[in-house]
Amino acid sequence: MAKKRKIKLELTRRDFLTLTAAAAGSVVAAQALTTGPLSPFSMLKQGQLEGKQPQGEGHGASGPYHWGMVIDLDKCIGCEYCLRACSATNDVQADRPWNIVVEERTSTGTPFFFSRPCLHCQVAPCVEVCPVKATYVREDGLVVMDYDRCIGCRYCEVACPYDVRKFNWEARTDENPYVPTWGIPEVERRPRGVIEKCTFCIHRIDEGLKRRLIPGEDREATPACVNICPVGARIFGNLNDPNSRISQVLAQNPTIRLREELGTEPSVYYIPPREGL
Amino acid sequence: MSAVTFPRKILTALTPAMLAWLLLIALCLGIGLVAASQVLLKGLVVTNMSDTVPWGLWITIDLSSIALGAGAFTLSAAVYLFGIKRLQSVVRLAVFIGFIGYTSALLTLVMDIGRPDRFWHPWVYWNVHSVLWEITWCITIYLIIMLLEFLPVVAETPYFSRYPLFGRIAHLLHKAAPAFALAGLFISLLHQSSLGATYGIVKSRPIWFKPSMPIMFILSAIAVGPALTMAVALVLEWVQGKKQVPFQVLRGIARYSGFALLAYAYLKFWDFASVNYYGRTPAVSESLYLLNQQTPYNFGFWVGEVIIGIILPVILFLAPRFNRNPVNLVLGALMAVTGVVMNRWNVTVGGLFVPLSYSPGTQYTLPPGVYTPSLAEWGVAIGIIGYILLMLTLGTRFLPLFPRQEA
Repeated sequence: MAKKRKIKLELTRRDFLTLTAAAAGSVVAAQALTTGPLSPFSMLKQGQLEGKQPQGEGHGASGPYHWGMVIDLDKCIGCEYCLRACSATNDVQADRPWNIVVEERTSTGTPFFFSRPCLHCQVAPCVEVCPVKATYVREDGLVVMDYDRCIGCRYCEVACPYDVRKFNWEARTDENPYVPTWGIPEVERRPRGVIEKCTFCIHRIDEGLKRRLIPGEDREATPACVNICPVGARIFGNLNDPNSRISQVLAQNPTIRLREELGTEPSVYYIPPREGL
Repeated sequence: MSAVTFPRKILTALTPAMLAWLLLIALCLGIGLVAASQVLLKGLVVTNMSDTVPWGLWITIDLSSIALGAGAFTLSAAVYLFGIKRLQSVVRLAVFIGFIGYTSALLTLVMDIGRPDRFWHPWVYWNVHSVLWEITWCITIYLIIMLLEFLPVVAETPYFSRYPLFGRIAHLLHKAAPAFALAGLFISLLHQSSLGATYGIVKSRPIWFKPSMPIMFILSAIAVGPALTMAVALVLEWVQGKKQVPFQVLRGIARYSGFALLAYAYLKFWDFASVNYYGRTPAVSESLYLLNQQTPYNFGFWVGEVIIGIILPVILFLAPRFNRNPVNLVLGALMAVTGVVMNRWNVTVGGLFVPLSYSPGTQYTLPPGVYTPSLAEWGVAIGIIGYILLMLTLGTRFLPLFPRQEA
């Protein structure tokens, strides 16, 4: 028994050679799998070169476009038109809007209105935690959902610092009170058991670009909330284009982003009320 | 022939007490099945979870049952890697309990995710950056490891004696036990910690976001998991009236568990001191203030986690005048288990109670996340308890959970 328990520590030449060969083999295999032509990642890179959307590296916009929004808190009158148009266009459940509008006060007590779509973070906590890559940052900076892949674990909902994500707790049978007054649904309702959130009306952007429209300038290619705003408090456009209207507004105005200290790099900027926050 | 003797053995074993026990299990399972069918038919709307509190009782069960299954890897490692051979007599039971714990967690998870039909997605669609992805993989791999570790035990049952090949494979697997123990140790250290990291990395939640989270999770798991195995061994001994494991071995486990709980307490103390006292941030202060004002968080923490979960079990496990009595050891283990469950509940529900604040103004914050589990959630929980009891009953009846004294 005592002999058996003793662990053999001698290394024969044969063992040594086997181990060396195995180590060398693993290195070669790892190399081939990560960079070589056999690698699954090489296909991904090929896909990126061909202009396909990569499945979420989480590092933000890398293409010619980076869609963003500026919300002018000084102009907003709190009419909630953006909320209604959004809820109608995206057929969102009335009590769980994607786009919220709330009353706020500055530190001196002056009231203003604060609204919030999805901020489309470039380093999005929701994207980082999703176990199946059902949500990812597209090449154009949009944080999108793959409803066919989502397993409904709700970790993204827990991790989002801005309370943007909503879960489909049941199969939808409700009637949308904002239809047709505020618009007609342009996308399908999401199935039971998946997470949903503001998409910046991605369907309009993608379709618009195909028809050579410019999102942010041509209404058909612009998010519903931006189009309907009666005071022009929302400006949408390409942050990567220095000549776009949004880039000019950003250059000319002081802006803030929400909870910048978290390092999430949101694509939504706010112009604070004139007196400051 | 054995086909004839097999059912008769069961029938003769059906004492009134056993029958009542089986009825209780059937009742639990029945309640669980009704609740589960409600969840599957109507969706998660039958729970009291909401968009503010998307995780609740079920996540607490997942976390607790995985933590309490930690006896499996801890005791396997102790026997096969550190050579503490006298623990050999409880390893099978530990692995069996671990297996029950992990399968309970998986059953609850399937209820909890919105799309149970897509439970396999993490295996196919990888997001290596997600701790939850890593946890899913680790749990899957570890479940396989436990099955392989446990296969030799199943192969020993009389039923399989007619398949000699099966026995030979099982024997080979048994020989590989140290390899499984090593893999199990590695994988468990990973995912038991990542379960804490699931909370620790969420930077938007002030009372979650801290690097001590994963370490506290794993420490509590390796402290309490073996204690649960010890308690189950003692209770089985009482029920069956047969001494299977020498008491000195179980007392040894209790003493180990006591010291491990002290290590956990030490870390918890410094975590508390640095987060709440020395390095207080306004966000943490506000969160804890709100929790203490509106929920029994403080009571749950001090009484549930610290006194019942740590101090009392440490005394019962370590003081010689107490730990000679098996009743005290079972009592201590029950308290420690309660402490772990309370901790997982406090972390999950407490963290989600604190509203997010992201508005640039001064007035708007989300309402606090108030949550009490619904009937359907309790129903599933009772069903899981039924499953655990059923597995334990079947296991002790049909499996050689305690190895015959090896020469």
